[in-house]
Amino acid sequence: MAPGRRIAITGISTHWGAELARALERDPRVDYIAGIDTEPPDADLERTDFIEADIRSPRLARLLPVTEADTVVHCGILWYPQPGKPVRALHDINVIGTLQLLAACERTPTLERVVVRSSAAIYGCEGASPLLFTEDLARRLPLRTRFQRDVSELEGYFDNFARRHPDVSCCTLRHQPEIAAGLDAPIVRYLGLPVVPTQLGYDPRLQFMHADDATAALAAAVGSEVRGPVNVAPDGAISLSRILRLARRPTIPVPHSLFGPAVERFGGPLGAGPLLAAAVRLLRFGRGVDNTRMRRELGFEPRYDAVAAVRDLIAKADSRRLGPRLHPASWLGRAAGIGA
Amino acid sequence: MTAERSRPAGRFGPPPPAPQGDALTDLLRQVRLGIEGGLDPMAAAQRAAGDFPHAVTGTMERLLRRLRGDYREDRWGFDEDFAEAVFPLFEFLYEVWWRVDAEGVRNVPADGRALLVANHAGSVFPFDASMMTVALMKQHPLPRWPRFMVLDWAFTLPFVSAFMRRVGGVPANPHNARALLEADELVTLFPEGVKGTGKPFSERYRLRRFGRGGFAEVALRTGAPIVPVAVVGSEEIYPKLAEAPGIARAIGAPFVPITPTFPLLGPLGLVPLPSKWRIEFGEPIDPSGLPPGAADDRSAVFDLSERVRETIQASLYRNLVKRGSAFL
Repeated sequence: MAPGRRIAITGISTHWGAELARALERDPRVDYIAGIDTEPPDADLERTDFIEADIRSPRLARLLPVTEADTVVHCGILWYPQPGKPVRALHDINVIGTLQLLAACERTPTLERVVVRSSAAIYGCEGASPLLFTEDLARRLPLRTRFQRDVSELEGYFDNFARRHPDVSCCTLRHQPEIAAGLDAPIVRYLGLPVVPTQLGYDPRLQFMHADDATAALAAAVGSEVRGPVNVAPDGAISLSRILRLARRPTIPVPHSLFGPAVERFGGPLGAGPLLAAAVRLLRFGRGVDNTRMRRELGFEPRYDAVAAVRDLIAKADSRRLGPRLHPASWLGRAAGIGA
Repeated sequence: MTAERSRPAGRFGPPPPAPQGDALTDLLRQVRLGIEGGLDPMAAAQRAAGDFPHAVTGTMERLLRRLRGDYREDRWGFDEDFAEAVFPLFEFLYEVWWRVDAEGVRNVPADGRALLVANHAGSVFPFDASMMTVALMKQHPLPRWPRFMVLDWAFTLPFVSAFMRRVGGVPANPHNARALLEADELVTLFPEGVKGTGKPFSERYRLRRFGRGGFAEVALRTGAPIVPVAVVGSEEIYPKLAEAPGIARAIGAPFVPITPTFPLLGPLGLVPLPSKWRIEFGEPIDPSGLPPGAADDRSAVFDLSERVRETIQASLYRNLVKRGSAFL
C-alpha cells in the first residue's frame, strides 16, 4: 500500500465498517479516514471523521468529493435488519444506496480504488449445485430470495462502473456469513439458542468465516490492487449437525416449511430474531465457495478454518451459557463415567 | 479419556482381545468362550458380565465421539466414520444378496486422480455406485473411498440428500467432477444418467447415449485416466415394465417405475431382487496422450466418449455371457 492514503468507509456504524476503520487507523500509511452512515459508530474510533449522511440520499454526491478519498470501501450492504434499519428498508439501502454511492464516486476525481463488501449469497443455495462455487459461477442459478436478487443487482452496477472507469480498480468481496462470539448477527444468535430448530431431513454444508478473518480480508483488499470478484471464505466446510454436536446443543427437527416461522415465533423471546429467506435456504441446502482466488491473488490466509471458527465461537460463547446442559452427549458421558 | 480399569484375573489367563463390535454380541461371545474353557454356564456368565462394562464403554465411546462431533468431514461433506458405519449393510448386499464377482479391481489407480465410468441401471437408487465402492474397499490392495456423482434430484430431497453427501455422493455436474479430480480424488460417474436407469427391462444392458460427452471433456482437462467399468446384474434388481408419469410429475421425480413387485407389494416392492452381479474394471484409458487443445475440440471429446462407451458395451456382453443365469 502506498503511503498517504485517504479512505472513505460507508456503513461505519456496522460491525464491519467500525472494525475496518479500527484496523486502518493503526496503519501509518493511511492519512485520513472518513466514515459515512446515518448514526455514529458505537466503537471508539480515534481518528475517523464521522460524516452523517444517508447513503440513499443524493447529498452523498456532494459530500464524498470533499473528502478527496482515493479509496471507497462499501460496508453499507446490509444482510439483515439492524437498529433503525428495518427489513423494509434493506432493499432501498442495498440497491438505491449503492446507486447513489456510485453516482458520488463518479464525481470524485481522486478515486483510485473501490472495495465492496458483498455476499456469497449471490450464488444462492440449491440442493444440487457446484459444491465449491468459483467466482465465475455467479447468477448461474435462479435468483430465489430478495437478498440474492439485491446482491446480484448491485454487483451488476459495480461491474458497469468498473467497465466505465478502467483507471479505478474495483474489487467485490463475496463474504460467506461470519460468526464470532461477540458478533450480533442472526446466525450467531440462532446457533446460541438453548434448543436449536433444524430443518427435518436436511443437513447443510456450511462455511462460516471467523469475524476477525473477515475484517482482515477487507483490510487486505484495501491494500491490494486485485480487480473483480473474490470469494472470502474459510478453508474446509462443516455440516450443521456437526456444529450443533460440537456446541452440545440439542436440536428439534421441524419440517422445512415451518422452520422460518418456528425460529421467529419461539426464537424471538430467546433473542434469536427472525431469519430472512436467504438464511433459511442457507440452513437447508448449505453453500460452499472456493477461496483459491482469495489466497493466491489477494494473498490473504485466514487464521481459522471452517471448524476452528465454530470451535472458537463455542469456546467463547460457552462461558456465557445459561441453564443446564441439555445435550445427550453431556449426560450420557457422565452416566458412563467417561469424558467431560 | 477412559480410566484404565483393572481386569479381574480369570482362572484361564487373560481373555483373547475382543473384536470391535456390539457390546451384547461380545457378552454372548465371552459366555461361549467361558463354557468352552471348562466353566459351568453360571460362572461363565458371571465372568462375561464382569467384562461387559469394558465392551459397553467401547461402544459408548464410539457413540459419544459421534455425539460430541469428534469426527472428520472433508470440504465436500464426505464423512468417513458415517460411511464406515453403514458399510456392513452394503457389504451384506455385496456378499449375500447379489453375490458380486469383481474383476480387474487392480486397474483402478491406487493414488492420484481417476475417473470410473460405468453403465447405469437399477432405478432411482444408485446401488451400482455402492457396489463398485464395496468392490474397491474389499478387494483393492490400497483401498480408498470413491466419490460418486448423483442425480441432482436426490440432493433436493430430505434425508436422501444428507445420506448421499455423507457417504461421498456429490451432485452430478462438470464443476464438481473437475474440482474433485483436481483434488486427486477417485470419481465414479454414470454418463447415461437418468436415461440409463429409466430404460425399460426389455432394453437392459444396451447403453444409452453418453450425454454430451461432458465426462470426456473433464477427463481431458484434468488429465485423469478413465477406468471403464461394466456392471452386470443391476438391470434385474428392479425390472421396469412401465412408468407412472403422472406421479413422477407430481413429486418432481425423473420417473416412477412400475416393476413386478412395485407398487403391487407396497414398500416391500422396494426390496431389490437378488440377481447375480459381476463387475469388471477395465484397463484405464489415459487421455493425456491427446493434444492439449483436445478438450475444446468437439470431435476429440466425442471420439474419447465413444471409445469408452464401446469398451463398456463390449465388456457388458462379455460379462453377461460369463454370468449365465440372471438369478442363480
